[in-house]
Amino acid sequence: MRILLIEDDRTLGGAIADQIAADGHAVDWAMLLEDAALSVKTAAYDLVLLDLMLPDGRGLDFLRTRRSAGDTTPVIILTARDQVSERIEGLNAGADDYLVKPFDLSELTARIAAVARRYAGNPNPLINLDGNEIDLAAHTVRRDGKKVDLTAREWRLLEALLQRPGAILSKAQLEEHLYNFDAEFESNTIEVHVSRLRKKLGRNIIETVRGVGYRVRGK
Amino acid sequence: MTRTYSLRRRLGLSLAIGVTAMWLAGALVAGLVARHELDEAFDSALQETAQRLLTLAVLDILDHEGDLSERRVAPLNAHEEFLTYLVRDQFGNVILRSHDADRSVFPAQPKIGFSDTATHRIYGEAAVNNTIFIEMAEPLAHRKEAAFEATLSLIVPLALILPFSFIGVWWLVRRSMLPVLDLGTQIEARDAGDLSPVSPDGLPDEVHPIAASVNQLMARLHKSLQAERNFAANSAHELRTPIAGAIAQTQRLLASVEDDEVRARVQTIEDTLQRLAHISAKLMQLARAEGGAVLAEAEHDLGPFLDAVVDEFHRTSGDGARIEYAPANAGLLISRMDGDAFGILMRNLIENALIHSPEGAVVKITATPHCVRVVNPGGIVEGGVLATLLKPFARGTGNAEGSGLGLAIAHAIAEAGGATLSLHSPAEGRADGFEARLDLK
Repeated sequence: MRILLIEDDRTLGGAIADQIAADGHAVDWAMLLEDAALSVKTAAYDLVLLDLMLPDGRGLDFLRTRRSAGDTTPVIILTARDQVSERIEGLNAGADDYLVKPFDLSELTARIAAVARRYAGNPNPLINLDGNEIDLAAHTVRRDGKKVDLTAREWRLLEALLQRPGAILSKAQLEEHLYNFDAEFESNTIEVHVSRLRKKLGRNIIETVRGVGYRVRGK
Repeated sequence: MTRTYSLRRRLGLSLAIGVTAMWLAGALVAGLVARHELDEAFDSALQETAQRLLTLAVLDILDHEGDLSERRVAPLNAHEEFLTYLVRDQFGNVILRSHDADRSVFPAQPKIGFSDTATHRIYGEAAVNNTIFIEMAEPLAHRKEAAFEATLSLIVPLALILPFSFIGVWWLVRRSMLPVLDLGTQIEARDAGDLSPVSPDGLPDEVHPIAASVNQLMARLHKSLQAERNFAANSAHELRTPIAGAIAQTQRLLASVEDDEVRARVQTIEDTLQRLAHISAKLMQLARAEGGAVLAEAEHDLGPFLDAVVDEFHRTSGDGARIEYAPANAGLLISRMDGDAFGILMRNLIENALIHSPEGAVVKITATPHCVRVVNPGGIVEGGVLATLLKPFARGTGNAEGSGLGLAIAHAIAEAGGATLSLHSPAEGRADGFEARLDLK
C-alpha cells in the first residue's frame, strides 16, 4: 500500500515510517498539513495516518476538507489527547480508526492491515488461494501447511493484488506501490518479483493478462 | 454564621407598623384639633346665646315692672336641655331660670365671662349697670361626648381600612421584590457546573449591578475552567508525544537487534517507558479529576461516550474481546458530568476489571437508567480492603499489577461530577467477583 503519514514529531514519525516500510508499504511523510495537502494532490494513497495537532492546523480540519472534496481514502487518526469526545469527533468526521499515543507499533501494523482489508471488501484476514493459506494480519503464508518466507517486496506485491481480487493491476500501478523500496528501480522489477512469487506459491497464483497487467483470481 | 433575615418580611412589617403608627398619630392630632375647634364653636354658641337671652330677660323683667321674684320659664314642650341658664341680680337672687336649670351647678355669686366648674362650662354676662346677670351652663360631658364621637368617626374608618392597607403593603413589597427573588432563584437553581449568565431582564436598577457582577464572575470562571481543560488536554499531548516517540523508536530498535543480551536490555527500556507512559497518563487524569473541569455546562446523554470507550477497548487487540456490553439506549445516562471526564472514569473502571479478573473471564458492562455497572468475576475482595480501594495508590491483595490510581481517579471524577461510585464484592447476583457501580444521580 502507499501510505501518507502526517506527523510533526520527528522521533515518533521516524519510527512509524520505518515500521510501515518494514511491513512492506510505501510511505510518504509530511510534517505539515500544507505539505500533506500537496501530497494528496500529486499521488494516490491507499491510507492516511493523521496526527491531530500539527503546527499549521488541526488534523480534523484537514480530514473534513478531504472528505467534503469526495476523497474516500481510509484515514487512521493518531492522537495524544485522552478525550473521548475528540475520538467521537474524529470518527464522525470520517476517520476509519484511531490510535492513542503511545501505541505499540505492532498495534499500528494490525490496524493498517484491518483498515486495508475492510476497504478491499474482505475483512477476513485469512485467504485461501491455490493451496496457500495467507494471513494478511499476521503477514504469514503457509503452503500445504508449511510456512513460506516472503521478502517485504514480494509481500507488498501480493497484498496489492489480493486487495483487489479479480481486478487487473497494470505494471505502473504495481510499481507505484513498491516505489520507495528500490532506489534504482529496474524496468523488469515487477516481472522479477512476480516470477519469484510464482516459484514460492505456485504457478497459478498470479495470472498475467498480456499487454495489460497482472491479477489474482477473484472468489 | 450571622443570622439571616428576610428583606421582604422586614420591609413589609416595618411598612405596615409605620403606616399604622402614622395613622394613629394622625388620628390623635386630628382628634385634638377637632376638640379645640369644637370647644371654640361651643363657647361661641354659649356666649351668643347668653347675650341674646340677656336682652330678652331684661325686657321680660321690665315687662313685669321690676318684679324680681324668681320665675321659671316653662318649656314649650318637654325636652332635655343641654344649655341651662340663670338670670340673677347683683346679690345672687335668681330672677329667671330655664326649666331644667340646677341652681347648684352655678357659683354662689354671678361672674362675667367663661369659667369652669367640675361638671360644667359657664358663661356670664351683665346688663343694666351690672345689676342683672345672665349665666349659661353647658355640661362638660356633652362636649366630651362630641369630641369623642368626632375622634371615633376618624378612627373607625381608618381601622376598617387598615387590613386592606396591610394587604396592599404586602402585595406591593412582594411585587417589588419579585425580580430580586427571581434573580435569587435563578442563581440558586443552578449547580456548580452551570456557568451560563443570569438574565438581567426586568431587574430594578438597584439589583442590576449584582446580576452584572454575577455574570462577570461566571464569565471569568468559565474562561479559567476552559483554560484548565485545554491545559489538561494539551499537556497530555505534550507529554505523550515524546514518550510515544521513545517507545516507538525502542520497538524499532528491538526489531533490528539480533543479540539476545542487547535485546533484553532494549526490552527493559521499553517496559520502563511503557510504565512511565502509564503512570504519567494516570497522574494527568488524577490532576484533571481533582480540578474543576468535571462538570459540563448542561445535562447531556453520556451513552455515546460509554459506547465510544467500550469501542476503544474492542478496537485494541487484546483484552477488548473479553468485554460484554450492549450499547446504552439513548437518554438512559443523562447527567451533568463532562463527557471526557466520564470517559476517563469508565476507562479506569473497565481497565481495573480487566486487570483484576482471571484470564479469559468476561467483564460485563450494564447501563440502566442513571447507573452503570462494571462486573468482573474473580475472588471476593474483603470489606476492609474494599473500603481502601478508592484511595490513591491503594492496591487489593491480588497479584495483578495496576497503577493503584485507577479507582482513585474514577472516585475523584464521580465525586466532582455529582455521582456516586460504590464498590461491591461479591458482585450483585453473583457468589464471587467484583462490581463497580456508578450512580449518576
